[in-house]
Amino acid sequence: MKKFKNIFLGLSLVFAAILFAAFTLPQDKKVGGPWEIPAKYKTMKNTFKDDASLMKVGKMLYTKHCKSCHGGKGEGNGPKAKSMKTAIRSLKMAEVQAQSDGVLYYQSFIGRDEMPNYEKKITDDEDRWAIINYLRTLK
Amino acid sequence: MRNKIFTLSCLLVFAFGSVLAQETETETKKVDKPVRSPFESGYLIDNQTTVIQPVKTLEFVIQHKFGTVENGHSDLWGLYASGANIRLGLNYVVAKNVQIGLGVTKERMTTDFNAKWTILEQTRNNTVPVALALYGNIAIDGRDKDQFHDDFKSSNRLSSFFQAIVGRKFSDEISLQTGLSFAHYNLIDEGNYHDKVGVHLNGRFKVSPQGSVIFNLDVPLDLGYLDTEAEDYDNPKPNFSFGYEISTSTHAFQIYMGNSSGLIQQDIMVNNHSKIDLDNYMIGFTITRLWNF
Repeated sequence: MKKFKNIFLGLSLVFAAILFAAFTLPQDKKVGGPWEIPAKYKTMKNTFKDDASLMKVGKMLYTKHCKSCHGGKGEGNGPKAKSMKTAIRSLKMAEVQAQSDGVLYYQSFIGRDEMPNYEKKITDDEDRWAIINYLRTLK
Repeated sequence: MRNKIFTLSCLLVFAFGSVLAQETETETKKVDKPVRSPFESGYLIDNQTTVIQPVKTLEFVIQHKFGTVENGHSDLWGLYASGANIRLGLNYVVAKNVQIGLGVTKERMTTDFNAKWTILEQTRNNTVPVALALYGNIAIDGRDKDQFHDDFKSSNRLSSFFQAIVGRKFSDEISLQTGLSFAHYNLIDEGNYHDKVGVHLNGRFKVSPQGSVIFNLDVPLDLGYLDTEAEDYDNPKPNFSFGYEISTSTHAFQIYMGNSSGLIQQDIMVNNHSKIDLDNYMIGFTITRLWNF
């Protein structure tokens, strides 16, 4: 009987320690630091900027490739976002939208760290700009 | 007669598709580029599509069919039943629109080597109205030689399948394919044909950006003259499958029901004697995962 009492006491302590740690350990993830964007991309022109016909394509490609992390509305709350070490910025944020198309292109398709490179998955430049155009609608 | 009508119907579908030109893809200004994603994967249920991934893509595929659903909840509609079949495969895109692959299948302990070449891709402005692909495989029955007859030769293990596939993306939602195939077994079970010519029809209807209703029909044709000694044999039964596909950036998940337990196509075309009847249906799935190098 004493043996069971000790096991119960031990488990209670473990449970209490986990509960305590849950409230004291930092839970907030940090967003990534500033991006180093090569000059080529800073001045890169969006050759499909005014192509309204690409909106449906952009939405379709965003849903297929980006939604699982960035969320359906670009708020950084997709189902895979929780498993990331880095917090995902909302694409609606003014500081994200203030960036040039070329910078967004670099961040979206060249990537870094947990943001994967998409050059080999989305091979057509027209498709890439279609996604950038769609990101602009998420304001 | 019915088979002729079926073949003619398939041809008419594609002919009308070309004439009506229901393409809704974005038109490009200069080059007539290939249409975007006529299918989400190189696989459609247990068949091939005209889609080949970009060069240097490795594709891992898991195909599984459970037992038949005939016993209902007593074996959880075939999930607990014996007779399940599984295939694991790897495909690699060695050049633009050229893919090679290999796979292992539980049924007959089969190892298959395959290749696919998409000769034509449908273009957005209909310069090329359809996609055309050739697919072929050679498979080796890996069972112990005691499983064969007394006069066993190594070549008894071999079977093959060759298929020409013609496909068209009619709209962002609807894509259809038809195909003509030839399946061959060097050694077959009593009552089966060595050779079988077949026609195929399959397609998808996209119901959301990531979800599609999919179907596949394989019809082994009853052309007696190809195997005159087999006049009294029962022609293999058609395989009709239907299901749902969910696709992401690197995966395609297809869950379906079909009436053939085969996973390599010569098995489906030559050995399927389960007719299209709900009791003969089994639940299956196909999952593909892509890596780019």
